[in-house]
Amino acid sequence: MKAFRARRGVAVAELDQDERAVVARIVADVGLLLGGEVFGMETTPRVAETPRDLLEHLTSFEAHLAEPDDPAILRLLPNAAPTDREVADEFRRYTEPDLRALKVARLRRLWSQLSEDGPRWEVAEDQAMETAAALTDVRLVLASRLGLETDADVERLHADVGTAPHAGADGLAADRERMWLGMLYEALTWLQDSLVAFVMGEEGDDE
Amino acid sequence: MGVSADPATGRSTSVANRLDDAWVTIVWNDPVNLMNYVTHVFQSHFGWPRVKAERKMREVHEKGRSVVSTGGREQMEVDVQAMHGYGLWATMQRSGE
Repeated sequence: MKAFRARRGVAVAELDQDERAVVARIVADVGLLLGGEVFGMETTPRVAETPRDLLEHLTSFEAHLAEPDDPAILRLLPNAAPTDREVADEFRRYTEPDLRALKVARLRRLWSQLSEDGPRWEVAEDQAMETAAALTDVRLVLASRLGLETDADVERLHADVGTAPHAGADGLAADRERMWLGMLYEALTWLQDSLVAFVMGEEGDDE
Repeated sequence: MGVSADPATGRSTSVANRLDDAWVTIVWNDPVNLMNYVTHVFQSHFGWPRVKAERKMREVHEKGRSVVSTGGREQMEVDVQAMHGYGLWATMQRSGE
């Protein structure tokens, strides 16, 4: 894996086939979590044809208006006014459908970039911030699953991932999953950091 | 922070939209968002020069929160929605709460 570097005005990172597959998978999972369809298997939007269909549609619509139970989704779509329930509910009612659609569309474009052939992951300058924002959403979900709530939690994870090879395959399954998610989190952090450095013009152009 | 819930939540929209009814947007520190990313989000959305964006980013990081905008409720809703779009943890409340 190579971080993003500027090449002729485009940000280019390198991920081998396995790395691309892993990242594309988690990107698609976060898209699903936000209520998007399975990436790569889009169908035409279903029209409500029967009263039952309509009811199901309304039920899922209502579900989107309540505060999400999943802490990861709540981090992607936070409470906008913890001191005022009425303001918070109204904000969620007006903005949540748009925010979900924005995030799912961005994740879908990121997934498409990762699904192209070849090791180079190219991001044009005008797409760099939306790619960085999609990476943020994926990292927020991973951080929620990993219980990263403070800067100290992140530092502890960093230290644990650094010593992961010593844990070996005989470690507890829960520890292995934490290591795996932790390594993915760290890799995405490193990629996003290099992409934002490109946006801010901190990297020299290689060619 | 020392904010308690306001029991008087039943203000009507017309009252909330009065010109003298100032609201604030607050961005909170979190361990996930990167410093350079937050700086660039502030530059892009608020149109701040880089020096100001970095100062506000450091305030979020070091003090745990920063007021990033002040104005009417509708404008604060626009700002909070934009921050949530970028994955920043933002909230709004009446000024002085």
